[in-house]
Amino acid sequence: MVELRNVSKTYPNGTVALRDINLKLDKGEFVFLVGPSGSGKSTLVKLLLKEEEATEGEVYVNGYDVTSMTRQEIPYLRRSLGVVFQDFRLLPNKTVYENVAFAMIITEALPKEIRRQVPMALALVGLSRKANMYPHQLSGGEQQRVALARALVNNPALLIADEPTGNLDPETSWEIMKLLSEINHRGTTVIVATHEKSIVDAMKKRVVAINKGVIVRDQEKGLYRDEDKNTPVFY
Amino acid sequence: MKIRTLRYFIKEGFVNSYRNKLMSLASVLIVVASLIVFGVFVLISLNAQHNIRIWKEQPQLQAFCYQELDDIQVRRVEEIIKADERVLSYEKVTREQALEKMRERLGKDAAILDGYGADIFPVSFIIRLKDVSYSGEVVKDLEKVTGIEKVTYSQDTVELITRMSQWFSLGCSVMIVIFLVASVFIIANTIKLTVFARRKEISIMKYIGATDWFIRWPFVVEGVIISITGAILAFIISACGYKAVVDKFSQDAFFAQTSLLSMLSIESIWSKLAVYYAAIAVVVGAAGSFVSMRRYLKV
Repeated sequence: MVELRNVSKTYPNGTVALRDINLKLDKGEFVFLVGPSGSGKSTLVKLLLKEEEATEGEVYVNGYDVTSMTRQEIPYLRRSLGVVFQDFRLLPNKTVYENVAFAMIITEALPKEIRRQVPMALALVGLSRKANMYPHQLSGGEQQRVALARALVNNPALLIADEPTGNLDPETSWEIMKLLSEINHRGTTVIVATHEKSIVDAMKKRVVAINKGVIVRDQEKGLYRDEDKNTPVFY
Repeated sequence: MKIRTLRYFIKEGFVNSYRNKLMSLASVLIVVASLIVFGVFVLISLNAQHNIRIWKEQPQLQAFCYQELDDIQVRRVEEIIKADERVLSYEKVTREQALEKMRERLGKDAAILDGYGADIFPVSFIIRLKDVSYSGEVVKDLEKVTGIEKVTYSQDTVELITRMSQWFSLGCSVMIVIFLVASVFIIANTIKLTVFARRKEISIMKYIGATDWFIRWPFVVEGVIISITGAILAFIISACGYKAVVDKFSQDAFFAQTSLLSMLSIESIWSKLAVYYAAIAVVVGAAGSFVSMRRYLKV
Protein backbone atom coordinates (compact mmCIF):
# COMPACT_ATOMS: atom_id res chain seq x y z
CA MET A 1 0.00 0.00 0.00
CA VAL A 2 2.61 2.48 1.16
CA GLU A 3 6.33 1.83 1.19
CA LEU A 4 9.31 4.06 1.83
CA ARG A 5 12.76 2.67 1.11
CA ASN A 6 15.85 4.44 2.46
CA VAL A 7 14.13 7.79 2.10
CA SER A 8 15.97 10.97 3.04
CA LYS A 9 14.84 14.53 2.60
CA THR A 10 17.07 17.57 2.85
CA TYR A 11 15.49 20.94 2.15
CA PRO A 12 17.38 23.39 -0.08
CA ASN A 13 18.29 25.47 2.99
CA GLY A 14 20.19 22.48 4.40
CA THR A 15 17.63 21.34 6.97
CA VAL A 16 17.60 17.56 7.16
CA ALA A 17 13.94 16.64 7.63
CA LEU A 18 14.09 12.87 7.16
CA ARG A 19 17.05 10.49 7.40
CA ASP A 20 17.03 7.03 5.88
CA ILE A 21 13.38 6.21 6.54
CA ASN A 22 12.11 2.67 5.91
CA LEU A 23 8.41 2.14 6.42
CA LYS A 24 5.86 -0.29 5.10
CA LEU A 25 2.09 -0.15 5.49
CA ASP A 26 -0.21 -2.96 4.48
CA LYS A 27 -3.68 -2.68 3.09
CA GLY A 28 -6.29 -2.05 5.77
CA GLU A 29 -3.89 -0.81 8.43
CA PHE A 30 -4.47 2.10 10.78
CA VAL A 31 -1.24 3.88 11.63
CA PHE A 32 -0.50 6.82 13.90
CA LEU A 33 2.47 8.92 12.91
CA VAL A 34 3.58 10.68 16.07
CA GLY A 35 6.36 13.03 17.03
CA PRO A 36 6.95 16.58 18.22
CA SER A 37 6.69 19.56 15.88
CA GLY A 38 9.58 19.65 13.48
CA SER A 39 10.20 15.93 13.84
CA GLY A 40 9.59 15.34 10.14
CA LYS A 41 6.11 13.86 10.14
CA SER A 42 4.66 16.64 7.99
CA THR A 43 7.50 16.17 5.53
CA LEU A 44 6.68 12.48 5.39
CA VAL A 45 3.05 13.27 4.57
CA LYS A 46 4.21 15.72 1.89
CA LEU A 47 6.36 13.04 0.30
CA LEU A 48 3.36 10.73 0.06
CA LEU A 49 1.40 13.44 -1.77
CA LYS A 50 4.42 14.38 -3.87
CA GLU A 51 4.19 17.91 -2.59
CA GLU A 52 7.88 17.49 -1.84
CA GLU A 53 10.43 15.29 -3.56
CA ALA A 54 12.55 12.82 -1.66
CA THR A 55 16.25 13.67 -1.92
CA GLU A 56 17.13 10.00 -1.74
CA GLY A 57 15.28 6.69 -1.69
CA GLU A 58 12.04 5.45 -3.16
CA VAL A 59 8.41 6.12 -2.27
CA TYR A 60 5.52 3.90 -3.36
CA VAL A 61 1.88 4.83 -2.73
CA ASN A 62 -1.17 2.93 -3.95
CA GLY A 63 0.88 1.19 -6.59
CA TYR A 64 2.34 4.47 -7.88
CA ASP A 65 6.10 4.89 -8.00
CA VAL A 66 5.98 8.38 -6.52
CA THR A 67 9.70 9.04 -6.89
CA SER A 68 9.85 8.69 -10.65
CA MET A 69 6.42 10.18 -11.30
CA THR A 70 6.10 13.08 -13.75
CA ARG A 71 4.25 16.29 -12.92
CA GLN A 72 1.36 15.32 -15.17
CA GLU A 73 0.77 12.12 -13.20
CA ILE A 74 0.54 13.79 -9.77
CA PRO A 75 -3.21 14.58 -10.00
CA TYR A 76 -3.96 10.90 -10.57
CA LEU A 77 -1.90 9.88 -7.54
CA ARG A 78 -3.82 12.40 -5.42
CA ARG A 79 -7.18 11.20 -6.70
CA SER A 80 -6.31 7.71 -5.56
CA LEU A 81 -6.04 8.86 -1.97
CA GLY A 82 -8.08 11.03 0.36
CA VAL A 83 -6.40 13.79 2.35
CA VAL A 84 -7.61 15.68 5.41
CA PHE A 85 -5.78 18.67 6.86
CA GLN A 86 -5.72 20.50 10.17
CA ASP A 87 -7.26 23.62 8.60
CA PHE A 88 -10.05 21.68 6.75
CA ARG A 89 -9.42 23.46 3.43
CA LEU A 90 -13.02 23.76 2.32
CA LEU A 91 -14.16 26.13 -0.41
CA PRO A 92 -15.92 28.95 1.48
CA ASN A 93 -18.33 29.93 -1.30
CA LYS A 94 -19.59 26.44 -1.94
CA THR A 95 -22.13 24.54 0.15
CA VAL A 96 -21.32 21.34 2.01
CA TYR A 97 -22.82 19.32 -0.82
CA GLU A 98 -20.91 21.27 -3.48
CA ASN A 99 -17.64 20.94 -1.58
CA VAL A 100 -17.97 17.18 -1.53
CA ALA A 101 -19.25 16.98 -5.11
CA PHE A 102 -16.33 19.10 -6.27
CA ALA A 103 -13.88 16.26 -5.60
CA MET A 104 -15.91 14.21 -8.07
CA ILE A 105 -16.39 16.99 -10.63
CA ILE A 106 -12.64 17.33 -11.07
CA THR A 107 -12.41 13.64 -11.89
CA GLU A 108 -15.09 14.21 -14.55
CA ALA A 109 -17.38 11.71 -12.86
CA LEU A 110 -20.87 11.11 -14.23
CA PRO A 111 -23.56 13.38 -12.74
CA LYS A 112 -25.55 10.26 -11.88
CA GLU A 113 -22.62 8.94 -9.92
CA ILE A 114 -22.12 12.28 -8.15
CA ARG A 115 -25.78 12.30 -7.10
CA ARG A 116 -25.36 8.83 -5.66
CA GLN A 117 -21.96 9.12 -4.01
CA VAL A 118 -22.18 12.55 -2.34
CA PRO A 119 -25.22 11.78 -0.15
CA MET A 120 -23.60 8.50 0.83
CA ALA A 121 -20.40 10.24 1.92
CA LEU A 122 -22.38 12.88 3.82
CA ALA A 123 -24.43 10.18 5.53
CA LEU A 124 -21.24 8.40 6.57
CA VAL A 125 -19.98 11.50 8.39
CA GLY A 126 -23.48 12.32 9.72
CA LEU A 127 -24.01 15.59 7.87
CA SER A 128 -26.90 14.75 5.55
CA ARG A 129 -29.09 17.41 7.14
CA LYS A 130 -26.52 20.17 6.64
CA ALA A 131 -25.86 19.54 2.95
CA ASN A 132 -27.04 23.00 1.90
CA MET A 133 -25.14 24.98 4.53
CA TYR A 134 -21.94 26.89 3.92
CA PRO A 135 -18.70 26.08 5.77
CA HIS A 136 -18.85 29.25 7.89
CA GLN A 137 -22.23 28.12 9.29
CA LEU A 138 -20.68 24.95 10.67
CA SER A 139 -18.63 24.18 13.77
CA GLY A 140 -14.99 23.14 13.43
CA GLY A 141 -15.84 19.49 13.99
CA GLU A 142 -18.54 19.62 11.33
CA GLN A 143 -16.18 21.30 8.88
CA GLN A 144 -13.64 18.57 9.42
CA ARG A 145 -16.34 15.99 8.78
CA VAL A 146 -17.15 17.71 5.49
CA ALA A 147 -13.44 17.47 4.61
CA LEU A 148 -13.58 13.78 5.50
CA ALA A 149 -16.63 13.25 3.30
CA ARG A 150 -14.79 14.97 0.46
CA ALA A 151 -11.73 12.80 1.03
CA LEU A 152 -13.86 9.65 0.95
CA VAL A 153 -16.30 10.42 -1.84
CA ASN A 154 -14.08 8.94 -4.54
CA ASN A 155 -13.64 5.75 -2.51
CA PRO A 156 -9.87 6.02 -2.03
CA ALA A 157 -7.93 3.01 -0.82
CA LEU A 158 -5.80 5.22 1.39
CA LEU A 159 -6.76 8.11 3.67
CA ILE A 160 -4.09 10.47 4.95
CA ALA A 161 -4.97 12.80 7.82
CA ASP A 162 -2.41 15.45 8.74
CA GLU A 163 -3.16 16.70 12.28
CA PRO A 164 -6.91 16.29 11.66
CA THR A 165 -7.81 17.30 15.21
CA GLY A 166 -5.28 20.11 15.64
CA ASN A 167 -7.95 22.82 15.58
CA LEU A 168 -10.65 20.93 17.50
CA ASP A 169 -11.61 20.58 21.15
CA PRO A 170 -10.98 17.18 22.81
CA GLU A 171 -14.53 15.94 22.56
CA THR A 172 -14.85 16.77 18.86
CA SER A 173 -11.42 15.29 18.30
CA TRP A 174 -12.71 12.02 19.64
CA GLU A 175 -15.64 12.04 17.26
CA ILE A 176 -13.32 12.56 14.31
CA MET A 177 -11.00 9.78 15.47
CA LYS A 178 -13.92 7.40 15.90
CA LEU A 179 -15.00 8.27 12.39
CA LEU A 180 -11.49 7.57 11.08
CA SER A 181 -11.50 4.26 12.90
CA GLU A 182 -14.86 3.39 11.39
CA ILE A 183 -13.61 4.26 7.93
CA ASN A 184 -10.65 1.97 8.58
CA HIS A 185 -13.01 -0.86 9.55
CA ARG A 186 -14.66 -0.49 6.16
CA GLY A 187 -11.35 -1.41 4.58
CA THR A 188 -9.62 1.91 3.94
CA THR A 189 -5.97 2.18 4.96
CA VAL A 190 -5.62 5.19 7.28
CA ILE A 191 -2.53 7.21 8.22
CA VAL A 192 -2.98 9.82 10.93
CA ALA A 193 -0.20 12.25 11.77
CA THR A 194 -0.91 13.68 15.20
CA HIS A 195 0.44 14.68 18.57
CA GLU A 196 -2.77 14.01 20.49
CA LYS A 197 -1.24 11.82 23.15
CA SER A 198 -4.45 10.76 24.86
CA ILE A 199 -6.10 9.64 21.66
CA VAL A 200 -3.10 7.68 20.43
CA ASP A 201 -2.78 5.97 23.76
CA ALA A 202 -6.45 5.08 23.94
CA MET A 203 -6.90 3.78 20.40
CA LYS A 204 -4.16 1.13 20.64
CA LYS A 205 -3.22 1.15 17.00
CA ARG A 206 0.11 0.82 15.25
CA VAL A 207 2.29 3.79 16.23
CA VAL A 208 5.25 5.04 14.23
CA ALA A 209 7.21 7.61 16.21
CA ILE A 210 9.50 10.02 14.43
CA ASN A 211 12.04 12.27 16.06
CA LYS A 212 14.62 14.47 14.39
CA GLY A 213 13.91 12.85 11.04
CA VAL A 214 14.44 9.28 12.18
CA ILE A 215 11.89 6.55 13.01
CA VAL A 216 12.57 5.91 16.66
CA ARG A 217 9.84 3.36 17.23
CA ASP A 218 7.36 1.29 15.23
CA GLN A 219 4.99 -0.60 17.45
CA GLU A 220 1.75 -2.53 17.06
CA LYS A 221 -0.91 -1.39 19.53
CA GLY A 222 1.51 1.27 20.66
CA LEU A 223 1.35 4.28 22.89
CA TYR A 224 2.40 7.84 22.24
CA ARG A 225 5.51 7.44 24.38
CA ASP A 226 7.42 4.33 25.39
CA GLU A 227 7.76 5.37 29.04
CA ASP A 228 3.98 5.78 29.27
CA LYS A 229 3.60 2.03 29.02
CA ASN A 230 3.01 1.60 32.70
CA THR A 231 0.79 4.57 33.35
CA PRO A 232 -2.91 3.72 33.40
CA VAL A 233 -4.86 4.51 30.25
CA PHE A 234 -8.43 5.60 30.66
CA TYR A 235 -10.95 4.80 27.98
CA MET B 1 -13.06 17.00 -22.75
CA LYS B 2 -16.58 16.16 -21.72
CA ILE B 3 -19.54 18.45 -22.31
CA ARG B 4 -20.37 18.80 -18.62
CA THR B 5 -16.75 19.69 -17.86
CA LEU B 6 -16.86 22.29 -20.62
CA ARG B 7 -20.04 23.67 -19.12
CA TYR B 8 -18.30 23.84 -15.74
CA PHE B 9 -15.36 25.76 -17.26
CA ILE B 10 -17.63 28.26 -18.98
CA LYS B 11 -19.67 28.81 -15.82
CA GLU B 12 -16.53 29.32 -13.75
CA GLY B 13 -15.17 31.73 -16.36
CA PHE B 14 -18.31 33.87 -16.04
CA VAL B 15 -18.17 33.70 -12.24
CA ASN B 16 -14.51 34.80 -12.36
CA SER B 17 -15.12 37.77 -14.59
CA TYR B 18 -18.15 38.83 -12.57
CA ARG B 19 -16.28 38.69 -9.26
CA ASN B 20 -13.66 40.91 -10.78
CA LYS B 21 -16.12 43.42 -12.26
CA LEU B 22 -14.00 46.55 -12.27
CA MET B 23 -10.89 45.03 -13.79
CA SER B 24 -12.98 43.10 -16.28
CA LEU B 25 -14.63 46.34 -17.34
CA ALA B 26 -11.25 48.06 -17.74
CA SER B 27 -10.00 45.18 -19.87
CA VAL B 28 -13.16 45.21 -21.97
CA LEU B 29 -12.67 48.94 -22.63
CA ILE B 30 -9.06 48.55 -23.74
CA VAL B 31 -10.13 45.75 -26.07
CA VAL B 32 -12.86 48.02 -27.45
CA ALA B 33 -10.35 50.83 -27.99
CA SER B 34 -7.85 48.66 -29.83
CA LEU B 35 -10.49 46.98 -31.94
CA ILE B 36 -11.98 50.33 -32.96
CA VAL B 37 -8.55 51.52 -34.11
CA PHE B 38 -8.26 48.27 -36.00
CA GLY B 39 -11.77 48.71 -37.38
CA VAL B 40 -11.07 52.21 -38.67
CA PHE B 41 -8.00 50.87 -40.40
CA VAL B 42 -9.90 47.98 -41.97
CA LEU B 43 -12.77 50.19 -43.10
CA ILE B 44 -10.52 52.80 -44.66
CA SER B 45 -8.33 50.29 -46.43
CA LEU B 46 -11.34 48.33 -47.69
CA ASN B 47 -12.72 51.55 -49.14
CA ALA B 48 -9.38 52.54 -50.60
CA GLN B 49 -9.08 49.17 -52.32
CA HIS B 50 -12.63 49.50 -53.56
CA ASN B 51 -11.90 52.90 -55.12
CA ILE B 52 -8.59 51.82 -56.61
CA ARG B 53 -10.40 48.93 -58.23
CA ILE B 54 -13.00 51.26 -59.74
CA TRP B 55 -10.29 53.56 -61.09
CA LYS B 56 -8.38 50.69 -62.55
CA GLU B 57 -11.45 49.30 -64.26
CA GLN B 58 -11.95 52.58 -66.05
CA PRO B 59 -8.75 53.35 -67.89
CA GLN B 60 -9.66 56.90 -68.71
CA LEU B 61 -7.49 59.67 -70.05
CA GLN B 62 -8.49 63.23 -70.64
CA ALA B 63 -6.58 65.10 -73.33
CA PHE B 64 -6.86 68.89 -73.13
CA CYS B 65 -6.27 70.98 -76.24
CA TYR B 66 -4.71 74.42 -76.07
CA GLN B 67 -7.41 76.91 -75.17
CA GLU B 68 -6.72 79.09 -78.25
CA LEU B 69 -7.17 76.25 -80.80
CA ASP B 70 -9.79 76.88 -83.49
CA ASP B 71 -12.34 74.32 -84.70
CA ILE B 72 -10.21 73.10 -87.62
CA GLN B 73 -7.21 72.46 -85.41
CA VAL B 74 -9.47 70.70 -82.89
CA ARG B 75 -10.82 68.50 -85.67
CA ARG B 76 -7.26 67.58 -86.64
CA VAL B 77 -6.57 66.45 -83.08
CA GLU B 78 -9.84 64.51 -83.07
CA GLU B 79 -8.81 62.70 -86.26
CA ILE B 80 -5.56 61.57 -84.67
CA ILE B 81 -7.38 60.20 -81.62
CA LYS B 82 -9.98 58.51 -83.82
CA ALA B 83 -7.27 56.82 -85.85
CA ASP B 84 -5.49 55.38 -82.85
CA GLU B 85 -6.17 51.65 -82.65
CA ARG B 86 -5.64 51.48 -78.92
CA VAL B 87 -8.59 53.79 -78.29
CA LEU B 88 -11.85 52.05 -77.50
CA SER B 89 -14.01 55.15 -77.60
CA TYR B 90 -13.73 58.85 -77.05
CA GLU B 91 -15.97 61.69 -76.19
CA LYS B 92 -15.54 65.29 -77.14
CA VAL B 93 -16.08 67.83 -74.35
CA THR B 94 -16.90 71.15 -75.97
CA ARG B 95 -16.12 74.53 -74.42
CA GLU B 96 -19.83 74.92 -73.53
CA GLN B 97 -19.95 71.49 -71.83
CA ALA B 98 -16.83 72.36 -69.88
CA LEU B 99 -18.40 75.60 -68.70
CA GLU B 100 -21.57 73.74 -67.72
CA LYS B 101 -19.57 71.13 -65.77
CA MET B 102 -17.73 73.83 -63.92
CA ARG B 103 -20.99 75.54 -63.05
CA GLU B 104 -22.31 72.25 -61.67
CA ARG B 105 -19.19 71.64 -59.68
CA LEU B 106 -19.25 75.11 -58.15
CA GLY B 107 -22.97 74.84 -57.32
CA LYS B 108 -23.98 77.90 -55.31
CA ASP B 109 -20.77 79.69 -56.20
CA ALA B 110 -21.39 79.40 -59.95
CA ALA B 111 -22.08 83.12 -60.05
CA ILE B 112 -18.35 83.86 -60.23
CA LEU B 113 -18.44 82.50 -63.76
CA ASP B 114 -21.00 85.10 -64.80
CA GLY B 115 -19.55 87.44 -67.32
CA TYR B 116 -17.18 84.84 -68.72
CA GLY B 117 -17.90 83.06 -71.95
CA ALA B 118 -17.31 79.42 -72.75
CA ASP B 119 -14.15 80.44 -74.65
CA ILE B 120 -12.06 80.52 -71.48
CA PHE B 121 -12.26 76.71 -71.41
CA PRO B 122 -10.32 74.45 -73.71
CA VAL B 123 -11.84 71.63 -75.72
CA SER B 124 -10.94 68.22 -74.31
CA PHE B 125 -11.39 64.57 -75.19
CA ILE B 126 -12.26 61.86 -72.68
CA ILE B 127 -10.61 58.73 -74.02
CA ARG B 128 -11.32 55.14 -73.00
CA LEU B 129 -8.61 52.68 -73.86
CA LYS B 130 -9.05 49.07 -74.94
CA ASP B 131 -6.68 47.99 -72.23
CA VAL B 132 -5.30 49.70 -69.16
CA SER B 133 -1.77 48.57 -70.01
CA TYR B 134 -1.69 50.91 -73.05
CA SER B 135 -2.20 53.99 -70.94
CA GLY B 136 1.49 54.78 -70.46
CA GLU B 137 2.40 54.79 -74.17
CA VAL B 138 -0.84 56.42 -75.28
CA VAL B 139 -0.23 59.33 -72.89
CA LYS B 140 3.29 59.72 -74.26
CA ASP B 141 2.10 59.67 -77.89
CA LEU B 142 -0.78 62.10 -77.30
CA GLU B 143 1.47 64.58 -75.50
CA LYS B 144 3.56 64.80 -78.75
CA VAL B 145 0.48 65.69 -80.84
CA THR B 146 0.46 69.39 -81.76
CA GLY B 147 -2.51 71.11 -80.24
CA ILE B 148 -2.69 68.94 -77.13
CA GLU B 149 -1.55 70.84 -74.06
CA LYS B 150 -1.70 68.07 -71.47
CA VAL B 151 -3.08 64.63 -70.82
CA THR B 152 -4.40 63.81 -67.37
CA TYR B 153 -3.82 60.36 -66.44
CA SER B 154 -5.98 58.50 -64.01
CA GLN B 155 -3.02 56.22 -63.27
CA ASP B 156 -1.51 59.09 -61.27
CA THR B 157 -4.45 59.03 -58.96
CA VAL B 158 -4.31 55.27 -58.66
CA GLU B 159 -0.65 55.47 -57.71
CA LEU B 160 -1.31 58.26 -55.27
CA ILE B 161 -4.08 56.35 -53.58
CA THR B 162 -1.97 53.21 -53.52
CA ARG B 163 0.98 55.02 -52.00
CA MET B 164 -1.18 56.82 -49.49
CA SER B 165 -2.90 53.66 -48.42
CA GLN B 166 0.45 51.94 -47.97
CA TRP B 167 1.65 54.64 -45.58
CA PHE B 168 -1.68 54.62 -43.88
CA SER B 169 -1.53 50.84 -43.45
CA LEU B 170 1.94 51.03 -41.97
CA GLY B 171 0.93 53.67 -39.46
CA CYS B 172 -2.19 51.79 -38.48
CA SER B 173 -0.37 48.48 -38.20
CA VAL B 174 2.06 49.96 -35.69
CA MET B 175 -0.80 51.38 -33.65
CA ILE B 176 -2.75 48.16 -33.81
CA VAL B 177 0.22 46.10 -32.65
CA ILE B 178 0.76 48.44 -29.69
CA PHE B 179 -2.90 48.36 -28.76
CA LEU B 180 -3.22 44.60 -29.10
CA VAL B 181 -0.11 43.94 -27.01
CA ALA B 182 -1.51 46.33 -24.39
CA SER B 183 -4.81 44.44 -24.48
CA VAL B 184 -3.06 41.11 -24.00
CA PHE B 185 -1.21 42.38 -20.94
CA ILE B 186 -4.18 44.11 -19.40
CA ILE B 187 -6.25 40.95 -19.79
CA ALA B 188 -3.36 38.98 -18.31
CA ASN B 189 -3.29 41.36 -15.37
CA THR B 190 -7.02 41.03 -14.81
CA ILE B 191 -6.67 37.29 -14.77
CA LYS B 192 -3.74 37.59 -12.39
CA LEU B 193 -6.07 39.26 -9.92
CA THR B 194 -8.57 36.43 -10.28
CA VAL B 195 -5.81 33.89 -9.80
CA PHE B 196 -4.71 35.77 -6.70
CA ALA B 197 -8.24 35.94 -5.34
CA ARG B 198 -8.67 32.23 -5.91
CA ARG B 199 -5.22 30.99 -4.92
CA LYS B 200 -6.60 29.16 -1.89
CA GLU B 201 -9.16 27.47 -4.08
CA ILE B 202 -6.49 26.57 -6.61
CA SER B 203 -4.30 24.96 -3.95
CA ILE B 204 -7.27 22.95 -2.66
CA MET B 205 -8.03 21.83 -6.20
CA LYS B 206 -4.47 20.63 -6.55
CA TYR B 207 -4.68 18.67 -3.31
CA ILE B 208 -7.78 16.83 -4.35
CA GLY B 209 -6.25 15.88 -7.67
CA ALA B 210 -7.34 18.44 -10.28
CA THR B 211 -5.14 18.39 -13.36
CA ASP B 212 -3.31 21.55 -14.40
CA TRP B 213 -5.60 22.07 -17.36
CA PHE B 214 -8.71 21.58 -15.28
CA ILE B 215 -7.50 24.49 -13.15
CA ARG B 216 -6.44 26.60 -16.13
CA TRP B 217 -9.45 26.37 -18.44
CA PRO B 218 -11.79 28.64 -16.44
CA PHE B 219 -9.13 31.36 -16.63
CA VAL B 220 -8.81 30.94 -20.39
CA VAL B 221 -12.59 31.23 -20.62
CA GLU B 222 -12.46 34.41 -18.52
CA GLY B 223 -9.99 35.96 -20.94
CA VAL B 224 -12.09 35.01 -23.92
CA ILE B 225 -15.27 36.38 -22.28
CA ILE B 226 -13.54 39.73 -21.73
CA SER B 227 -12.28 39.97 -25.27
CA ILE B 228 -15.51 38.77 -26.92
CA THR B 229 -17.50 41.33 -24.93
CA GLY B 230 -15.03 43.97 -26.08
CA ALA B 231 -15.36 42.78 -29.67
CA ILE B 232 -19.15 42.95 -29.61
CA LEU B 233 -19.10 46.49 -28.23
CA ALA B 234 -16.42 47.56 -30.70
CA PHE B 235 -18.41 46.07 -33.55
CA ILE B 236 -21.59 47.92 -32.59
CA ILE B 237 -19.74 51.22 -32.18
CA SER B 238 -17.76 50.98 -35.40
CA ALA B 239 -20.70 49.72 -37.49
CA CYS B 240 -22.93 52.58 -36.29
CA GLY B 241 -20.12 55.07 -36.75
CA TYR B 242 -19.40 53.87 -40.26
CA LYS B 243 -23.06 53.98 -41.23
CA ALA B 244 -23.24 57.59 -40.04
CA VAL B 245 -20.17 58.48 -42.13
CA VAL B 246 -21.59 56.76 -45.23
CA ASP B 247 -24.92 58.60 -44.82
CA LYS B 248 -23.16 61.92 -44.42
CA PHE B 249 -20.97 61.13 -47.42
CA SER B 250 -23.87 60.27 -49.73
CA GLN B 251 -25.62 63.52 -48.79
CA ASP B 252 -22.56 65.58 -49.55
CA ALA B 253 -23.20 67.40 -52.85
CA PHE B 254 -19.60 67.48 -54.03
CA PHE B 255 -18.90 63.76 -53.73
CA ALA B 256 -22.38 62.79 -54.87
CA GLN B 257 -22.08 64.70 -58.14
CA THR B 258 -18.50 64.15 -59.04
CA SER B 259 -18.53 60.48 -58.10
CA LEU B 260 -14.85 60.97 -57.49
CA LEU B 261 -14.93 58.55 -54.58
CA SER B 262 -17.46 55.99 -53.59
CA MET B 263 -17.93 54.29 -50.24
CA LEU B 264 -18.86 50.72 -49.59
CA SER B 265 -22.21 50.25 -47.90
CA ILE B 266 -22.26 48.90 -44.37
CA GLU B 267 -24.36 45.96 -45.57
CA SER B 268 -21.59 44.82 -47.85
CA ILE B 269 -18.84 44.80 -45.24
CA TRP B 270 -20.34 44.16 -41.82
CA SER B 271 -19.82 40.41 -42.02
CA LYS B 272 -16.17 40.82 -42.92
CA LEU B 273 -15.69 43.21 -40.02
CA ALA B 274 -17.47 40.84 -37.62
CA VAL B 275 -15.25 37.92 -38.63
CA TYR B 276 -12.08 39.99 -38.14
CA TYR B 277 -13.23 41.21 -34.74
CA ALA B 278 -14.23 37.76 -33.55
CA ALA B 279 -10.94 36.23 -34.68
CA ILE B 280 -8.84 38.92 -33.03
CA ALA B 281 -10.92 38.78 -29.86
CA VAL B 282 -10.44 35.04 -29.44
CA VAL B 283 -6.71 35.25 -30.11
CA VAL B 284 -6.18 38.23 -27.81
CA GLY B 285 -8.29 36.73 -25.02
CA ALA B 286 -6.60 33.36 -25.16
CA ALA B 287 -3.15 34.99 -25.41
CA GLY B 288 -3.93 37.10 -22.34
CA SER B 289 -4.95 34.02 -20.40
CA PHE B 290 -1.83 32.13 -21.40
CA VAL B 291 0.48 35.00 -20.52
CA SER B 292 -1.15 35.24 -17.10
CA MET B 293 -0.88 31.52 -16.57
CA ARG B 294 2.74 31.32 -17.56
CA ARG B 295 3.49 34.10 -15.12
CA TYR B 296 1.06 33.69 -12.26
CA LEU B 297 -0.43 30.21 -12.34
CA LYS B 298 2.50 27.90 -11.97
CA VAL B 299 0.36 25.05 -10.74
